[in-house]
Formats: sequence, structure tokens, C-alpha cells
Amino acid sequence: MKERKHIDRLFQEGFKDFEATPKDAIWQNIEAKLNQNKKKRRALPLWWRYAGIAALFLLLLTAGSIYFNNDNSLPANQVVDTESALPEKSTIPNNAIISSNNNIVDNIDNKDSNNIANSQNSNNSIQRTSVSNNFSRTNLKPSTIKSGDQNQILVNKNSAYKNSSEENKVAKINQRDSDEVISEMKKTNEKASSNKKDISSMADNKNEESNPLMTANPKNNSTIEEAIAESKKEDDATSLNKWSVGTNAAPIYFSSLGKGSSLDAQFNENSKSGEVTMSYGVSASYALNKKLSVRSGINKVNIGYNTNNVIVFESIGLSSSSRALKNVDTNNSGENFSLISGESVSNLINEPFIKTSNTSVNQSLGFIEIPLEIEYALINKKFGFNIIGGFSSFILSNNELFSEFNGNRTRIGEATNLNKVSYSANFGLGLNYKITKKLDLNLEPLFKYQINTFNNTSGNFKPYFIGVYTGIGLKF
Amino acid sequence: MFDLGLKQLIENCKINDTQAQSEIYKLFSSKLFSICLKYSRNYAEAEDNLQDAFLTIFKKIEQFKHQGSFEGWLKRITVNTVLQRYRHEKVFEIIPDDFAEDEEIEIDEDSVTIDYLLQIIQELPDRYRLVFNLYVLDGYSHKDIASMLDLNIGTSKSNLARARQILKKTIENYKTTRSLQSL
Repeated sequence: MKERKHIDRLFQEGFKDFEATPKDAIWQNIEAKLNQNKKKRRALPLWWRYAGIAALFLLLLTAGSIYFNNDNSLPANQVVDTESALPEKSTIPNNAIISSNNNIVDNIDNKDSNNIANSQNSNNSIQRTSVSNNFSRTNLKPSTIKSGDQNQILVNKNSAYKNSSEENKVAKINQRDSDEVISEMKKTNEKASSNKKDISSMADNKNEESNPLMTANPKNNSTIEEAIAESKKEDDATSLNKWSVGTNAAPIYFSSLGKGSSLDAQFNENSKSGEVTMSYGVSASYALNKKLSVRSGINKVNIGYNTNNVIVFESIGLSSSSRALKNVDTNNSGENFSLISGESVSNLINEPFIKTSNTSVNQSLGFIEIPLEIEYALINKKFGFNIIGGFSSFILSNNELFSEFNGNRTRIGEATNLNKVSYSANFGLGLNYKITKKLDLNLEPLFKYQINTFNNTSGNFKPYFIGVYTGIGLKF
Repeated sequence: MFDLGLKQLIENCKINDTQAQSEIYKLFSSKLFSICLKYSRNYAEAEDNLQDAFLTIFKKIEQFKHQGSFEGWLKRITVNTVLQRYRHEKVFEIIPDDFAEDEEIEIDEDSVTIDYLLQIIQELPDRYRLVFNLYVLDGYSHKDIASMLDLNIGTSKSNLARARQILKKTIENYKTTRSLQSL
């Protein structure tokens, strides 16, 4: 044992403090790869990842709907299968039919030969053949086979021929044997002719009856074609209204879920109020199936948000930087304004003038919104009810700050912390009323939680807005 | 003070701070590279493995909750990275499980250089090398090794015995040739 450990110990001791410095190139490689990953991450904002999930969801649903559409065409395939199988099946019943018909013919022959002298008997036999033919027909009926039918018809025809020739014989015999009894002869002739009629009518009957059988398959074919046509019609009917365009307008109420301010930390505690502003735009939607549609569009969104109890004053002689708020640029308004929270000041100086002269700062923002939403129909009748979810991209188009005092609005600058592009997660309900098949009235209360709108907010500022979108949609 | 600094570095790494990542690399690359050298077939593959190990480390660093030694965590990731690469290499099995249990493996404690020892370890077949490293140099039990490499415990033991034998033979041959040369 001791010896065996020896080799272990040789290595253990050898590698005890073994360290090796790798080449510098290794770190450069690692760094490059790490940066690559970072760039990849940056190139994929959160919104896109959600959009990816949404797209995947849509893809699955589309695949699902295609699968269900395929289900409709399955019965047609089955019919085709039985058709191709028919000739194989027909061979066995054919033989049976032929043999049964042969029996019938035999019977007829026997009976006829027995009753040649007696025309009435032959009449009976013909009646029997009709019975037996009927029997064979009833046998045939369960099997809907073309070739079988044809055989039957042929056989029936043959039997009819035979019968008629026998009748002629009967008639001739009658003529010879009972020339004197004209009345009798007439009778038999009548009977023969009536028999002929019977036979011909029988043959006709058979033809008629075989015709439906013959045409049974074409009928089936036609029903299949009809079914296909119908399903196509259905498809057409749905595809007719797959696209829809509409306009919408909505009152928007903007607010924040948490306390905080987008302007500066000193306003965190100030009371704030959202203004009711307007959003309007156009939208287009595409119905993936009866339940699900995806829609996009373009909206102009105006947002107004008031921070109350702010003291605004012109800062003459003060360097603007000393008074500057974190996220406000007042320089380009021509005059230098300074803002102080009334909350902080009122703690220090409790003077009545502060309260009366305090104003509110109104932040007025405009965006171009491009939504991508999915609509899922819970009720899809004259009155429809949908769930709506999705995301929007916002492009900043307007960014202004105003002070409001006794109804006077003065522009004091703009916010510096607004992102040019931001996103929102949207969720809401959709109610619609179908005025006609093509025209919809919509009412959609939507909640839009804003993501990445501000890049440097103070406190727990989580902006969102609620809009009640009303509009008209035109399907085509 | 060092620990405090290290903790901060780790936290900074979690938010992908390149400076912090560079510091972590400087602190630990030599130790981890030695592991890679012992476990890999050659120098180039050791470099590849080190690179992969660090990429995994920075990817998973947010999972490190400052419980237990950071260095130990780094070493485990490095060993795992190497094992992943060689684990599925098949070794032609010719020895029964109970092979060489009683055989004496001794070697004269003579001057063999670390470079030479490294070289002959690297020249071992993959699984022998992994088992030998894990058991002899890093103190894992046969049970651990068996689960890490997806082997039977018996196979792990026989692989170790075989590795020892090969190493012993190689060193002996080396010594013989050297002593012959010196004559």
C-alpha cells in the first residue's frame, strides 16, 4: 500500500503548487465573446422577446387551424378509398349474383318446359321469375356495386328474352292446338302480350332500379363534390372577411402605479393628476380563424400629466445649473425658469403666499403608437366580446413642460429623460356590435403599461395609461 | 478587505461589468489553467477549455450566492467544462474491475520535472486521465467520479489502476533511457 501511494504522492507533490499563466490572447478571446453576447442582448430589447413569444403563439395557432382545416377534408379521402376498393369487393358478390340468377333461369326453364302447354302456368312462371328477380334484386340492394348491377341487368334481360321466346312458343302451340278456340287463343295472346308487357315493364323496372344503383356512385361522387364545394364556400365565406380596417379614437388617462416623479426626486411626494387626453388612429386586423385575429395600426397618442404644488419662478441672476432639475431642460424656452416643490418649501416656510402662488407643472407628451395585438373572441355573434393582449411601440413626437397658473399656460421647457422609442404591454377587453356583416362598432377599454418610456425616474414611477377606444371597423 | 473586494467584483460581474470580469480573470486564470492543463490532452485544448470555462463562469456568475468558496465554485465549473468535453470518449476496456488491486506501484522518488509529469498525464487515454486527476490530484471519491463520468464504481477503480500502471511504466522507461544515455 505504501508503495502504491508513492506514485500518487509523486504527482500530488509535483502538482501541489502548480500554476500556469495562460497567454494574453485567451483573455482577449473571452472578452470578445462576452462583448458579442452583450451586443446580442442589447439588440434584443424586452419588447422583441415578448413579440417573439407572441409570434410563436400565433404560429402555433395558425398551425393548429391548418390542422383543423385538414380534418374537414379527411372524409373525402375516405370516400376515395372505398371507391378504389369497390372493384375488389365486387368480385365476390358478382359470383353470388350470377349463380342466383342462373338458378332463377333454371327455375324458369324448368317451369316453362313443364308448362309449355298451359299458357297460364307459363304466366305463373313468369310471375315467379319476377318474384325471383325481385328476390335477386333485394339481394343485390345491400351491395352498391356497379359491375354487379350490370350483370344483374344482363341476366334479367336474358331471362326476359327467354321468357318472351317461351311465350311465343306457348302462343304458337296454342295457335296450333286450339285453332278452333279463338277466344282461348286470344286469351293466351292477350296473356302473352300482357306477359310481354309485364316482362318489358319488369325489364324497365330493373333498368330503372339498376339505374339508381348505377348512379349511386356518381351520386356519391356528386355529394363529395358538393361537400368539397360547400367547404370551399365556407372557406370563401370566412376568407371574405379576413381583413378588416378601422378607425379609432379614445380618451386617454395617464397615471403612475407607484409614487414617484419622472421630473425630479423633489416632486416624488407631490400630488399628481393625469389629464384626460386623446388618442386617435387607424388599425388593420387579420383574422387567423373565427376566434383569433391579429391587428396592428398607427395611433397618435397625447398624454398629459400634472405635478401639482410646484413653485415656478424666473431665476434671474441665478445660475440655471444650481436650480436645475434632474430631468428638465428649461434653457431653450428663452427664459430661465426654476421649479421647486411646494411640498419641500412649505415645510420650511409656512407662508400663505406660497400656497396661493403655487402652480402645477403640466407635462405634455405626444407619441406615435404602433400596436401589435391579438384579439381572441369569446363571443362572436351580433354582439361580440373579445380579450385583447399585445404590445405597442411608441415613438416620441412631442415633449413639452408647461406651468399652469390661474389658467395661464407658460412653456417652461422639456423633459430630458424621455426615450425616443418606448414600449407598452397592452391588455383589455373588446366589445363590438355588428351593424351589418361588414360593419362593426367597437368599444375597447385598454390598459397599457409603459415600458422604457423614461430612462431616469425618481422614486417608484411606473407609468401607464388607460384608454377607452371607440371606433368603426370595416371588414372585407 | 480582499473578501469584500472580491464580493464587489462578483456583484459587478453579475451586471456584466467588463472591468470586474477582467479582474476576476486575472485573479484566477492561472489556477484554473493548471486544472485545464492536467485534465486536457494538450496545451491547445487546455486553452480552449479555459476559455469555455470562463465563458460559463461569467454566464452563471449570477447564480453564485456567496455561499461557500468562490474559488471552489470556479474550480468545479472548470472541471465540469473539461469533463463535458471528454466524458463521452470511449476507452477500450480490457481490464477486469478488480485488476491490479494488490499490485505494487512504486517509483523511485527521483528528479522528474513537473513538465514531464504533466506531459505523461496528458498522454493518458481520456478516461484514465480524468479518473487519475479526479482521484489523485483533486481528491474526489470513486463514488463521485462514477457519477461525474457516468461509470460504475468498479470501472472507476480499474481505470485508476490502469492509469497508475501506465504512468509508472512510462516513468520507468524514461528513467532507463535517461540512465542509459548518461552512461
